[in-house]
Amino acid sequence: MKRLMLRLLVPALTLVVWEIAASGSARAPRPSTVMQTAVRMIANGDLLFGLATSLGRVFAGFALASAVAVPLGIAMGSIGALEKNLDPLVETFRPIAAIAILPLVILWLGTGSMSAVTIVAYAAFFPVLINTIAGVKRVEPNLLRAAYSMGVPPMTRMRVVLLPAALPAILVGMRIGLGLAWTAIIAAELAVGAKAGSSGGIGQMMFVFYAYSVELNGIVVCMVAVGIVALILDRVLRELLARAVPWSRA
Amino acid sequence: MNEAKISLDAISKSFGPVTSPVVAVDRLSLDIRAGEFLAIVGPSGCGKTTVLNMLAGLDKPSAGTMTLNGRPIEGPGAERGVMFQDYALFPWRTVRGNIEFGLIYGPAGQGLSSAARDERVSRIIELVGLNGSESKYPHQLSGGMRQRVALARLMANEPEILLMDEPLAALDAQTRIILQDELLRIWGQDRPASERRTVVFITHAIDEAVFLADRVVVLSSHPGRLKRIVDIDLPRPRGDATRKSAAFADLSQSIWELIRDEAYRATMN
Amino acid sequence: MASSFPTTAAPRRRLGGLLVYLRTMGLFVAAWFIVALNVPNKLLLPSPVDVALALRDSAMDGELFDNAAVSVVRLFVSVVAAAVVAVPLGLAMGRSRLCNDLFEVPVELLRPIAGIAWIPLALFIFGIGHRLPLFIMFYTAFFPLLIGTAAGARTVDERLVAAARTMGVPEHTIMRRVIVPAALPSILVSARLAVAASWTAVVAAELVGAPSGLGYAIEYYRSMLSTPSVMAFIAIIGLCGFLTDRALRRLGAVLTPWAQTEQAR
Repeated sequence: MKRLMLRLLVPALTLVVWEIAASGSARAPRPSTVMQTAVRMIANGDLLFGLATSLGRVFAGFALASAVAVPLGIAMGSIGALEKNLDPLVETFRPIAAIAILPLVILWLGTGSMSAVTIVAYAAFFPVLINTIAGVKRVEPNLLRAAYSMGVPPMTRMRVVLLPAALPAILVGMRIGLGLAWTAIIAAELAVGAKAGSSGGIGQMMFVFYAYSVELNGIVVCMVAVGIVALILDRVLRELLARAVPWSRA
Repeated sequence: MNEAKISLDAISKSFGPVTSPVVAVDRLSLDIRAGEFLAIVGPSGCGKTTVLNMLAGLDKPSAGTMTLNGRPIEGPGAERGVMFQDYALFPWRTVRGNIEFGLIYGPAGQGLSSAARDERVSRIIELVGLNGSESKYPHQLSGGMRQRVALARLMANEPEILLMDEPLAALDAQTRIILQDELLRIWGQDRPASERRTVVFITHAIDEAVFLADRVVVLSSHPGRLKRIVDIDLPRPRGDATRKSAAFADLSQSIWELIRDEAYRATMN
Repeated sequence: MASSFPTTAAPRRRLGGLLVYLRTMGLFVAAWFIVALNVPNKLLLPSPVDVALALRDSAMDGELFDNAAVSVVRLFVSVVAAAVVAVPLGLAMGRSRLCNDLFEVPVELLRPIAGIAWIPLALFIFGIGHRLPLFIMFYTAFFPLLIGTAAGARTVDERLVAAARTMGVPEHTIMRRVIVPAALPSILVSARLAVAASWTAVVAAELVGAPSGLGYAIEYYRSMLSTPSVMAFIAIIGLCGFLTDRALRRLGAVLTPWAQTEQAR
């Protein structure tokens, strides 16, 4: 009991201090006004619409990235020559953050969902690829040898031994990639929102609150929503990992 | 029963760059008889595992020929089953899933209906004493149980030859002794010699080799060469009484004396 | 038994790696050049030559260096500031139940809110200028450093601590001489993560709200529709990110030579 109270002490204090400190200025957001705005935004569906739009883009981009990164990672992890020759490309583009190529992507694809999905895919691509490669390389060689010695043909070995053995690492890569994808979409929508007004996502909503309606409470509500979704995505993927690959804990 | 099942003729294996190769095995010649239990011992670096890998077809000799039933060995095959150190069990498959793996995905299961396959797997599970653990996963099993799953997986393919690379090395001393007895039982030491499969068994524990084998091949190291082949004429079936016998102690001691100096040098340098 | 590698192997491997790098990137640039020839619209896909020229021009009139310096300095200042706060706090949280209980909840609540999501609010508080990117980068670097340090402090091999205690070493010395060195590899790994994350944040922050820096430059050139310059600056961002990562890896090798294993990625 005492531990629980200790844990809640700092957050509770912060909320109280914040409420009091902000009551001086009429426009400053504070816990009470934020709550009111949150209720309003949920009730009129704005918040959920924004989240759904952003999440839709995230999943689309993430699926696209994984569809390329996983097979490529398996190939690169299995064929040393392929990895050696493609590695320079990976290492050159990896340090270039997704957000840095956003202006380029906007130049090419405009300010709509296509750009957003592309940025998300780029952001999620590298963690998935790199973790898949590492996972494939870390597969215990005797597992493949055992199947080989039982006369199992190569393609079947890949499907039935390599893939399940590398799966824990691939899923870890996906968890990291999804987290980065979520951050990337917010950043992309913020940056695009600054140019194009708005078209739906949470990041764009935040920017509209900043630039047009000057609704600071709305901004805070969006920030909290961003945090909550990030938490949920992470937890869901951790659960998935624990369920799908229970042996990787042991 | 005494014709050669596998024949090694001046087998050599080198590793590393052509300019400065490391010779792991040097002109090893050996005949392995059908139905015998053959142990290979030697100090570290004598190429025991390399020889096994070549017998399994996972590696090719640099020189010399290896034949099985008169035909050259050209790669792995289900007729030569391998049991690896650390067992190499598939962690995502249950005990039953591991054992039936070779039958589902490899040539050994061809022509087998799924009912026949299930029946064979059940029989093997019974044989190695894993009833009741069929649905468990490897990470839920003890070392001794994992070893038996690996053995069962191997035997489900009904290989002619069993190749085992230090299978009991990862176990504690008590479990080892129990599993040595189990291994002999499963191999069929209580049954007539013609019903036994050929086993090539690598170990660095001399007493284990003497207890289990019909013959012990002693290799010297750096490079790996044949030092001596020792006939173990202890009567079968063997058990605790064998371990206490004077003949057992003498054989173990004489083999130890063959490799003691090399082992000393390897440890202290 | 004891295999001695010939001493020429290491430099030869590095040279080989460099050759592969040049070959692959050379092929890439060549393919780019060919594709660019077939795309007449220079806005859409400038050729590598155009980008190289843009790079040269920016380098020559100092713009490249000025903007890069601004971004790098911001990065350095924010990461160091974040480390100054996060590392001691992380050590405390890793070793003291009380500290952990006090701060765990706020950390876990704030962490998922990406630094980037703070930009609109921060724009209100700080306005456009230096403080915005600094704040965003500080925030972004803070959490990986805090959590990595806490994890490193928590997972110190307890037998090391026990060994020190049995020798009668006082607690605060144990912290300095046992816990910190033992946690250092983990701290440095999380520093690399923090720096990488901060690079992302700096571009986003400068893109939206700063009058200088690499992110600002990219956005400026985009609005001027000069794609070659946009690409040139993107390349520089990648280069800076790469160099800072390498620098940190070197630092790690120097400070913690005993822990240099799978830290490659």
